[in-house]
Amino acid sequence: MLQREQWLDLARKLDWEYTYVSEREVFPEPVSGAPWLPHEAWSTWDEPYRTSYPEYVATQHAKEASVAAVQDAVGRLDDYRKLDPAWLSSLKLHAAALPLAEFDAVIGQLRAARFGRDSAWRNTALLGALDELRHTQIPLALMHDLVQWDPQFDWTHRFYHTNDWVAIAARHLFDEMLLLADPIEFAIATNFVFETGFTNLQFVGLAAVSQSVGDRMFEKMLGSIQTDEARHAQIGPAVIELLVEHDRGTVQRLVDKWFWRSWLLFSILTGFSMDYLTPLEGRQGSFREFMGEWILEQFQISLDRFGLARPWYWDQFVESLDRYHHMVYVSAYTYRATVWFDMPLPGPAEREWLAAKYPTTWAEFDPLWERITERWRDAGPGVEWFSHGATPVAFCDLCQLVLCGGSPRHNTARTVVHGDRPYIFCSEPCERLFLDEPERYRQHRDVVKRILAGEAPANLLELLRLYFGLQQDHWGKDVARGAYPWLGRR
Amino acid sequence: MLVPLYGFLEGDTLGLVILVQDDQPVSEVARALQEAASMRVPPRDGMAVYRDGQRLDPDRKVAEAGLTPLARVDVRMESGR
Repeated sequence: MLQREQWLDLARKLDWEYTYVSEREVFPEPVSGAPWLPHEAWSTWDEPYRTSYPEYVATQHAKEASVAAVQDAVGRLDDYRKLDPAWLSSLKLHAAALPLAEFDAVIGQLRAARFGRDSAWRNTALLGALDELRHTQIPLALMHDLVQWDPQFDWTHRFYHTNDWVAIAARHLFDEMLLLADPIEFAIATNFVFETGFTNLQFVGLAAVSQSVGDRMFEKMLGSIQTDEARHAQIGPAVIELLVEHDRGTVQRLVDKWFWRSWLLFSILTGFSMDYLTPLEGRQGSFREFMGEWILEQFQISLDRFGLARPWYWDQFVESLDRYHHMVYVSAYTYRATVWFDMPLPGPAEREWLAAKYPTTWAEFDPLWERITERWRDAGPGVEWFSHGATPVAFCDLCQLVLCGGSPRHNTARTVVHGDRPYIFCSEPCERLFLDEPERYRQHRDVVKRILAGEAPANLLELLRLYFGLQQDHWGKDVARGAYPWLGRR
Repeated sequence: MLVPLYGFLEGDTLGLVILVQDDQPVSEVARALQEAASMRVPPRDGMAVYRDGQRLDPDRKVAEAGLTPLARVDVRMESGR
């Protein structure tokens, strides 16, 4: 019987020589990606895991058994009841954003499993598609049991089917990254930037936080998913390694594009969780510290490996590390009924911690929290509307997120007229990305333009109920309903 | 006619869409934006409306000031105050 190493490459590197069709017909450029190179250029494609299908099945079976065992032990309703309400909001935020985006990724991986340019790439992508299906199913299964207890968990499945503003922004990102991208763009955007650059490391960081707050189930789920991601993310570097020899400019352009696109949503998901939704006693460090230690350093190493430059907006990105998620959180807190999870008001201890972690910027944000706190003191517990906005919020025409770029002193929003329409962007990178591919983006209408076009109601309550799909029993509120022991009444 | 404007208040964290009538004075833009953001930033006196870095006359009508739908305006403390 042949040993593994004797048959493995025969199975993984099985490419056909075409006789009655051309290679370009089998791998058309519109779906295989540009630059189109003959297979000879891709024939040395390889990645370090080199997993066979039987090995994949055995490993995944063991992982599934392990997740199921943890669920049996600590993944029951009573276990969740013991968790801090603010942390449950972190869970709801991730539970909504994750699973159906993973399902989009199944499509992206399957496209690479057919149109990737080397058989080893296609095989790895096929296992990646099975991974993504698993990442869809695990959170859906785990959170389903919680819906009967807390209807906000229903957004685990509902989120991407709604027109909530966060869902519109997430769809705008993931539909392009995961559903629309050809295998080359998918490999750079998803496998290299999003997975290798952000989520692979994020899962490690969030798993540590989950452990510290006592959420063993989320910790286990993240850990299990991360091991899959670490494997199929290797598609990205393997594609880039060959592509930079032929078209470095395309690689750099796609890295620049997708790092910024990924960063904005990532900073909201992870920045909210690490700096606001994790109880103070469970925090491992600030989001800024996590970014510096894990993401910046590792991403720089990844760029250096391929001789790629930092994205052209790097200085703006570094500046945003100390501000962007704070800008969005205080904005979102005062529009919390527009989301599906509750949000904590940072108290004196949290604000002191944030001031210590963000010594150069927190002074810009503290007065806003003081004002909101005063409004709660005036109104008393339960009176949400007194610290809640009612005026429509403006959104970026590229990322579809709120216009929260820059600082309270200088918002970096930029307006431009393209064709006969005015557009607004939260930042210079979003503007440049739009103008690089206007035909791709210009038809998409943000929430404000939908309101102005009569597609969505202008009245906030009607917008929430009829368009965002939120009802009063599950739209976001203050996590303590304003009844904080430290707050007092005026 | 109602004119929707992208409004940015100094000290605030996000852009808002405010609606003003084109025959209202520019000062109404400052008032409306401060009111809309008041749960985060307390309203102040002496705030002026700026478009492309130019201070707009608070007494001119919105239409006369050249504010068209979805223009960006900034409301900040008047220079020199």
